[in-house]
Amino acid sequence: MRTIEYLFDPTLAGLFWPGVIAALLVAVMGAVLSPLVVLKRMSFVGQGVSHAAFGGVGLVLFVAALTGVGGWGTGMQALVAVFAVGSGLAIALLSRRGETDAAIGIVLAVCMAVGFTLYRLAAGELRSRGLPPPPGIEDVLFGSVLSVGWADVWATGAVTTVVLGCLWWFRRPMLAWAFDGATAGSLGINGDRMRAVLLVLLSLAVVATMQVAGVVLATAMLVLPGVIGLAVSAKLRTVVVVSLVAALVGVVGGLVASFELGKNGIQTGPAIVLVLAVVFAVVRAVAGRSD
Amino acid sequence: MTDGPAIVVRDVSFSYGARAEAVISGISLDVRRGERLGILGPNGGGKSTLLRLLLGELEPTAGEIRVLGVTPGEARAAGQIGYVPQRVTAELGFPLSVRQVVEQAVATRVPAWRGIGNAARERVQRSLELVGAAELSEKPIGRLSGGQRQRVLIARAVAAQPAVLLLDEPTVGIDVAGQQRFGSMLETLRTELGLTVVVVSHELATIAATSDRVACLRRTLHFHDAPHGLTPGVLAELFSHDVAVVSGGAHVHACDDTACAHGSGDGDAGGEDAP
Repeated sequence: MRTIEYLFDPTLAGLFWPGVIAALLVAVMGAVLSPLVVLKRMSFVGQGVSHAAFGGVGLVLFVAALTGVGGWGTGMQALVAVFAVGSGLAIALLSRRGETDAAIGIVLAVCMAVGFTLYRLAAGELRSRGLPPPPGIEDVLFGSVLSVGWADVWATGAVTTVVLGCLWWFRRPMLAWAFDGATAGSLGINGDRMRAVLLVLLSLAVVATMQVAGVVLATAMLVLPGVIGLAVSAKLRTVVVVSLVAALVGVVGGLVASFELGKNGIQTGPAIVLVLAVVFAVVRAVAGRSD
Repeated sequence: MTDGPAIVVRDVSFSYGARAEAVISGISLDVRRGERLGILGPNGGGKSTLLRLLLGELEPTAGEIRVLGVTPGEARAAGQIGYVPQRVTAELGFPLSVRQVVEQAVATRVPAWRGIGNAARERVQRSLELVGAAELSEKPIGRLSGGQRQRVLIARAVAAQPAVLLLDEPTVGIDVAGQQRFGSMLETLRTELGLTVVVVSHELATIAATSDRVACLRRTLHFHDAPHGLTPGVLAELFSHDVAVVSGGAHVHACDDTACAHGSGDGDAGGEDAP
């Protein structure tokens, strides 16, 4: 079994464990955030932020190539995170004017175009300078556990801690606002602030998840666990617990599938999303919604 | 917060944009503490806009509003204004019980690191009892009928201990019997909690069932005093306009282009004709 070999062979373990740990961390973070994202109908916002992050990837790579820094590291991911958070806040600002849908549509398309263009230019510049090439475009779009290092794990751990900490800190006003934004103000809640906080958390989660699932599929990891939890129960605690279990099953199942079928070109991101989709289909078919 | 009227509106006008026609034009209004004021008017007459002004969501283009002696924004931030909007804006798919929904009103003012105390839980229970929804407390919010949901959202607003409660079209989709029960519930809230209640509706029956005093709004407010209640003279005046509804001491008539308001019984219907 390749999974055992990859994880416990001393010569390979160092290569795979960082990606596995990062995947488990984003599973926990995504699972807790997911019900809120689904119930606030922010899935498409997440999609916009992840694609905006791709524009950030292209920009950071291009600047790194021009300045001769080259390569790809955790510091650059931090810059992408800043770009993504900025995009999330821009979406929050536009949302206040009721233009969310169009804003995301524009951000999504423009950032993808900018990202691809700058990625190509960066790759050419790095090549001409004799510097190492940028990460493969497939790895950026669909994620790669093998590209995750220990520094990324620490960064993911920090992001997970911040996201979960903020969710705990703001849990009461966030829940009241998410339940009914129109009356939040009369409960002393600043709805704009809550929306901005949630978008920043979502942006951070998207950037952290991108390593494992890539730009295109990161949002799925922030949506499917919550959808599965909500399909199972009408009680908040149960929804979060089921979401967590589903996310862990998806990540573990996806990792095992990608390890076992790796030679056939199965990447981790798509494998995780497919496992989550199967879990969702089974849950919807078998359990339905019950207390 | 002062001891004056709960709500003071002075010469307030509002339009959505500098060149747009005024939605509300030069209205003045005093709402006494503990009063139930009904604001009646046609769709598009400015009722919801007036509520949004009272909530501090909109700023008057002219005039001044004071709620408990301060600006609406300050009163709202201090938790003094409870509000239940026209349509149910809540995300009803939320996996929350009725009790959890009402608890939000008290939980949001408790620091993150502290639990909700027994006093707050008792207040939640009391609010549910006052609106007659105690038996629903463990039900999922998404599985309630429209009327039940409305009562729960009022309990949520009341649990925050506001001094003023604003209700926008509270009985839309509720049958006549339900509207009358709704009126009794508001009377209970006033008696038990001393709440000042402003109800906005285009339904005569709702306003009649829920109000001590009625104002008609169609861009402007127009008041008439009725110091001796529903006398033949007042009735004649009422019927000189299009419609009259009489219920529980309140009397209402439909608006012409200037709109009118009637008080009943105590002789203080908010003053004179508006400009």
